[in-house]
Amino acid sequence: MSDKSIKKVCVIGAGTMGAGIAAQVANAGIPVLLLDIVPKDGDNRNAVAEGAVKKMLKTQPAPFMSKRAAKLVETGNIEDDLGKVAECDWIVEAIIERLDIKQDLYAKLEEVRTAGTAVSSNTSTIPLAQLTDGRSDAFKNDFLITHFFNPPRYMKLIEIVAGPQSDAATVAMVSDFVDRKLGKNVVNAEDSPGFIANRVGTFWIQQSVNAAFDLGVTVEEADEIGGRPMGVPNTGIFGLIDLIGIDLMPHLMKSLTSTLPADDPYVKIARSEKLIEDMIESGYTGRKGKGGFYRINREGGGKVKEAKDLKSGEYRAAARPGLVRGSAAKGDLGKLIEMKGKVGDYAWAVLGPTLSYAASIVPEATKTVVGVDDAMKLGYNWKMGPFEMIDKIGPAKLREKLASSDLPVPAILEQVGDKTFYRVENGKRQYFGTDGEYHDVERPEGVLLLEDIKLSSEPLAKNGSAALWDVGDGVVALEFTGKMNALDEQVMRMIGKAIELVKSDYKALVIYNEGSNFSAGANLGLAIFAMNIAAWSEVEKTVKGGQDAYKALKYAPFPVVSAPFGLALGGGCEILLHSDAIQAHAETYTGLVETGVGIIPGWGGCNEMLSRWMANPRHPKGPMPAVSKVFEIVSTATVAKSAADAKELGFLRHKDEITMNRDRLLYDAKQRALAMVDGYTAPEKPEYRLPGPTGKAALKLAVDSFRKQGMATPHDETVAAELAYVLTGGNTDITEIVTEDQMLKLEREAFMRLARNPKSQARVEHMLETGKPLRN
Amino acid sequence: MQVYEAPIRDMRFNLEELHNDDGFGDLEGFEDFDEDMRAAILEEANKLCRDVLLPLNWPGDQQGCRIENGVVRTPDGFQEAYKQFCEGGWAGLVVDQKWGGQGAPHSLAKMVEEMSCSTNLSFGLYPGLTGGAMVSLEAYGSDELKNFYMPKMANGEWAGTMCLTESHCGTDLGMLRTKAEPQDDGSYLVSGNKIFISAGDHDLAENIIHLVLARLPDAPAGVKGISLFLVPKYLPNEDGSLGNHNNAGPTAIEHKMGLKASATCQMTFDGSKGWIVGEPNRGLEAMFAMMNTERVAVGMQGLGVGEIAYQSAVYYAKDRLQGRSLSGVKNPDGPADPIIVHPDVRRMLMTMRAYNEGCRSVATWVSRAIDAEHAAKEPEARERAKDFVALMTPVVKALFTDLGHESAHHAVQVYGGHGYIQESGVEQFARDARIAQIYEGANGIQALDLVGRKLPDRMGRNLRAFFHPVSQFIEDNAQDEHIGKLVASLQQSFGALQLSTGHIAQKGMKDPEEAAAAAYEYLHLLGFVAMAYVFAKSAKIAHQKLAEGTDEEQFYKAKLTTVQFFFDRLLPPATAKFMAIKSGKASMMDMPEDAF
Repeated sequence: MSDKSIKKVCVIGAGTMGAGIAAQVANAGIPVLLLDIVPKDGDNRNAVAEGAVKKMLKTQPAPFMSKRAAKLVETGNIEDDLGKVAECDWIVEAIIERLDIKQDLYAKLEEVRTAGTAVSSNTSTIPLAQLTDGRSDAFKNDFLITHFFNPPRYMKLIEIVAGPQSDAATVAMVSDFVDRKLGKNVVNAEDSPGFIANRVGTFWIQQSVNAAFDLGVTVEEADEIGGRPMGVPNTGIFGLIDLIGIDLMPHLMKSLTSTLPADDPYVKIARSEKLIEDMIESGYTGRKGKGGFYRINREGGGKVKEAKDLKSGEYRAAARPGLVRGSAAKGDLGKLIEMKGKVGDYAWAVLGPTLSYAASIVPEATKTVVGVDDAMKLGYNWKMGPFEMIDKIGPAKLREKLASSDLPVPAILEQVGDKTFYRVENGKRQYFGTDGEYHDVERPEGVLLLEDIKLSSEPLAKNGSAALWDVGDGVVALEFTGKMNALDEQVMRMIGKAIELVKSDYKALVIYNEGSNFSAGANLGLAIFAMNIAAWSEVEKTVKGGQDAYKALKYAPFPVVSAPFGLALGGGCEILLHSDAIQAHAETYTGLVETGVGIIPGWGGCNEMLSRWMANPRHPKGPMPAVSKVFEIVSTATVAKSAADAKELGFLRHKDEITMNRDRLLYDAKQRALAMVDGYTAPEKPEYRLPGPTGKAALKLAVDSFRKQGMATPHDETVAAELAYVLTGGNTDITEIVTEDQMLKLEREAFMRLARNPKSQARVEHMLETGKPLRN
Repeated sequence: MQVYEAPIRDMRFNLEELHNDDGFGDLEGFEDFDEDMRAAILEEANKLCRDVLLPLNWPGDQQGCRIENGVVRTPDGFQEAYKQFCEGGWAGLVVDQKWGGQGAPHSLAKMVEEMSCSTNLSFGLYPGLTGGAMVSLEAYGSDELKNFYMPKMANGEWAGTMCLTESHCGTDLGMLRTKAEPQDDGSYLVSGNKIFISAGDHDLAENIIHLVLARLPDAPAGVKGISLFLVPKYLPNEDGSLGNHNNAGPTAIEHKMGLKASATCQMTFDGSKGWIVGEPNRGLEAMFAMMNTERVAVGMQGLGVGEIAYQSAVYYAKDRLQGRSLSGVKNPDGPADPIIVHPDVRRMLMTMRAYNEGCRSVATWVSRAIDAEHAAKEPEARERAKDFVALMTPVVKALFTDLGHESAHHAVQVYGGHGYIQESGVEQFARDARIAQIYEGANGIQALDLVGRKLPDRMGRNLRAFFHPVSQFIEDNAQDEHIGKLVASLQQSFGALQLSTGHIAQKGMKDPEEAAAAAYEYLHLLGFVAMAYVFAKSAKIAHQKLAEGTDEEQFYKAKLTTVQFFFDRLLPPATAKFMAIKSGKASMMDMPEDAF
C-alpha cells in the first residue's frame, strides 16, 4: 500500500460514467467535486453537473447508496471551479471521447493541479500515449487510465492502464483506492485498443450476431444456445443487446475498427446488418426504445413476448425452441460444440472464433490469462472466462477443431500443449504463464475467499443446506449451501453444531457464503408444502426451531459476525439481527419481507428490531415511537437499498461496518470477529415495557387510513393487525414487563394464525409461482 | 345367485346427509334436481337395473358377443334393453339440456352408474363409452361438429367410442402410428389399426361415432404429435340420415377373461373420412378430458361389482346351512345354522360392506366436486373442487377397482365350492371386475399419476383440498364424546399420511424411483384415510340422528357398526403401509435382473 492516500476526488465530466463514478466515490464516504462545462444558455453555470446529480437521485438502479452520499458531491463547472482541483488527491477525467478536447483539458489541469496527485482518464478507446502527448514529465508520472464499466456502482470491473512513465506509487495508490474504497476489482491492462473486456466482448457480440444471420438461426434459438449453456448472461446475445441498447453497436464498432490494425480479426468480422440499421433508424433501440430484438406486445390488454424475425424483420410471438438438452445445457461446452445440427453449428460459430480471438490478445492486451478471464467475468458477467472455457473444452481438442475450421490457433494455445490453463497444485490455484510455467493466482492482501479455502481443506461439518469451514486464526465460517441459500431445518441444525464446535475448539463464528445472494430467507417451497398437507405442528416446529437456533447464536459465549451481501431477506435478515456485529458488503439488500407472503417475521425478527429501535439513541424515548417505527418498516416489507440504507432502517447498528469490495468481505468480517474475542460477554436478555391494546389501536388507525387510500388490501390489514399485536406486547400494558421469551411466543402464535389463513397461503403460493407478491 | 337391490338408503344418506356440507357451497344449475326428484330417479334406475339389466347379466356372460360378416352381434336381449335404456333418457343423464340431455348432477348420476355396473357391467360399457366420447367432443369439438353429433349421441341413437390403443402402444401413446391425411374440404382421411376398442362395433345403435387418435403427416414424434379425429361408422347425410359405410369397422373381437358381453374390437380404418376435434397435435389434451371422467367411471365399476358381490354373498350366507354357531345353536329347527353366524364369514361380509359404503361416500364427495368445478358459486370453491378432483381421480380409479376385485373374491369364498363353479354366477364378478384394474390406465399408472403429477403439482396445492378439511375435522371433533375415539384413530392414520407425503416429496425430488417405489402403497393409504374421514363424519351424523330420535334406528346403528369395523379391522393395516413407504426402493431395486 502506498503512503499517499486519497481524501478528496475530482471527477470532470458529468455524463453517465463521470456522474456514476462521482456517486460511487461519495458512496464510499469520500467528498467529490463533480465538474462539467458551462451550459450555453441559462443563468446557472453549474447546471450540467447539478442536473446530473438530480437525475441520479431518480435513476434506477440507483447510483447513490443513500441520500447522505449525494450530499458529498460538490458540483461546479470547469471555467469557474477548475482551481479547486488543487485540493483533490485524484482527478478523474470522464469527458467526451475526443482526443483534442481531452488534451485541452489536460493542458488546463496541468496549470492548476497539485503535482504528485493522480490524474486518470476513463477513456475506453484512446491510447494513453496519445492522451499525454505534449504534457510535462511530471504530468505523465501522475497519469494513468482507469476504465470503469457502466454502471460504475454495480459493475465490479476496472481496467487500469499504466503508461511507461506512470509512477508506480501513484498507480498503486489509485488501484488500492478503487479496490478498497470503490469496491472494484482491478485488472491491469496494457495500452492497447479497447483494452481487454470491450475488445473480447465486442468481438463476441459481433460474431454472435453475424452467425445468427449467416446460419439462419432465430433470435430465440441464438439466445438459447448462446446464453445459459455458454455460461454468459441468461439473456443471451440478442437479449443483452436489447439491454445495453442496439444503437450502441455502431459506436462500439466504429471506435474499435478505427484503432485496431486492419488485419485484426475483429476488423475482418465487423459489419452492419440492414435490418439492425433500420431498427435503430425507426427507434427500435432495445428496452429503452420502442422495442428491440424482443418486445412485450400489450395490444388488446394482453402481454405477449415477441421476437424479431431476422429474415422478414417482423415481430412474431417468441418461441421457446427447447433445443439444448442434457449436459450441453449445463455447461458442458465440449458437448455443446459437438452437437449435430443448428445447436452445434451455432455454438461453434460463436465460441470457435471468440475463444481464438480472446486467446490471441495475451500478452498484448494483458499479461496473463487471468487478466482476460477476470475482465470477462467482472465486466461482461460471464460465468467462466475464455481460458476457463478453453480448459472445459480441452485446449488440445479446441486447437484441433480451430485448425480444421481454418481459424487461427493463437500462440499461447500452441504453447499450453496437452496441459490446461489452470490447475490446482498443493491446494493453490495456478495459471499457465506466457513463460510456459505455472504461477499461483495471487489475491490482493486482505482478500480471503471461501473458494480458495475449499481448494485446500475439507469442511468441519456439512449437511444438505449448510457447512462449516475453518477460515484460520480460530474462526469458523458458517456457509449456507442450499438452493438459493434458503434456510431450513438443516441450517438450524448446523447452527447448533457450529455453536458446539466454536465453544470447544475455536474463538469466533462468521456467517458468510459466496452464493449469488446471502440468503433470500426461509425455504418457502417447503413451507407451503407443509401447509398444504396441514402439517401445522411441523410448521410450528420449524418456527420454534428457528427461534431457538437464532437465540442460541445470540447468547453463544463467543462473538458472532454476519457478513451479508446481495439479498438478505426474511430469515436471512433475522440471522443478522441476532449477530453481535454485522460486516456488510455495501451492496446488501436486507429487510423483513414476510408480510409480502402474508406472515410476520417468526424467527425473532420482530423482537430484535424492536430492541434495536428502542436502543437507538437518536430515536425518541418511550415505547410507542420504537413500536411505530418497527411497525412501519415491517408492515410495508421495506427492503434496504444498500448497507448504508440498512443502517438508516435499523437493520444494521451504527457500530456495524461496511466493506465496499465483495472479495474483502470474509477477511473484514473475520478481523472484526477476532477484535471482539478478548473480554467478550454475551448480550443481556432484553425486557420490554410495551403499550398493549391501546398501542395496537393506535397502529390500527394508521392501517385504516392506508386502507382508505387504497394502499392496503384487506389481507394487509389482517397481517398488520397480527404484527401490531406482537409489537405492542399482546395483552400487556405499560406497567408490566414483557420478557424476550414472551415476545417470541407472541410471534409464534401470530405466525401460526397467519400460516393457517388461506389468503396467506395464496400469497406464499403466488410468490413461489411468479416471484411477485400477491395483493389480496 | 346374482342378487341385487340398489342400496338406495345408503345412497340417499350420502347425497342428502353426509355431503350436503362438504364445503363447496351451493351449486348452480341443478335446481330441477331437488331431493324428491333425486329419490325418484334412484328408484327408477333401480327398477331398470334390477328388472332389465340384471336378468341379462349371467346369460350375456355365457353367450358373449360374436362377429358376423364384419358386424358385431351383442347377446340376446341387449338390443331391447338398450332401447329401454335410451327411452328412459338414461343415455344423456349428465349431458347438458341444450343437447337434449337431462343435465343431472354427477353426484346423482354416479349412483345410477354404480347400479348399472352392479347389475350388468358389460352392458354399461356401451352407453358409457358414448358418454366419454361426448365429454371430449363437447369440450374440444367445433360448434358444427357438436351441433350435428351431440343430440344424436345424447339420446343414444348413435353410440361412441374412444380409439387409442394400437398393438405396439398402450400406456405409451407417443408411439402410435395411425395416420390422418388432410383433404381440401377440411376433412381428413384416417388410416390405421386399433386394438382393444371397447364397444368398437355393435348392433345396439344405428351409427357409431369413433374418436380416433392419429398423426398428421407433418406431426412431430412422440405425444406432442397426436391429434384427435371424429370418424363415423356410417357417413351421415346432411339431414342426419345414414349414408355410405366409412370403412371404419371391426376385423375381430377379443376372447377375454370376463366382460364377455362387451365387444372388445380390433378396428381397421382405411381412408375413413373424419374431422379434427380440437387443435392439431393437441389430441392428447382432448383425450384426457374424457380420460379423467372415465377414470372415475371405472372406479364406479369396482364399487358396482363390490356391491352386487356383497349382496349375493349375504344372500348365500343366510341361506346356506352348515355347522353350528360357536355361541350356541341359532337355527334349532334346521339341520344346521346358516353360515352367517360364523365370525370368519362375518369378517368377509363386513369387509365388503365397509369397502362399499366407504367407497360410495368417497365417490359422492368426488362427484360433488366434479359438479362444483363448474357449478360452485364461489371461484375459490371451483378452484378447490378442481384440485380435489385432480388429486382423487387416480385414487378412485385404482383403490375402488382393487377393493371391488377383492370383494368379488370374498364373495366366491363365501360361496366356497359353489362359488368356484359357474352356475352360482359369482365367479363372473371376479372375472368381470379384473379388467377395471387394468384399463383406462393400469392401477400402477394411477399410483404414478398420483405421486408423480398430482402430489408435486404447484408445491402440493392439490393436496390442500383434501388435507385441510380432514385436519380441520380432526381438530373440531377430537373431544367429541361419541366419535372422539374414532377421530383419534383417524388422526393417527392422517399423521402417517402426512409423514408419507413429506417423505415421498422429499425423496422423490432427488430420486423419482423412490417416489415410484412408494406410489402404490401411498395411493392406498390416502384412499383409506379418505374413507376413514367420511366414515368418521358418517358416524357423527348417525349419533346425532340417534340422539334426536329416528324411525330408522336400524340404518344408523348399522352404519355405526360398519364404521367401527372399518376402524377396528381395515384402517390399521392400511396405516401400516407407512412402514412400507418409508422402507424405500432398495429391497425391490437391489435384486439384479439376472436373479429374477
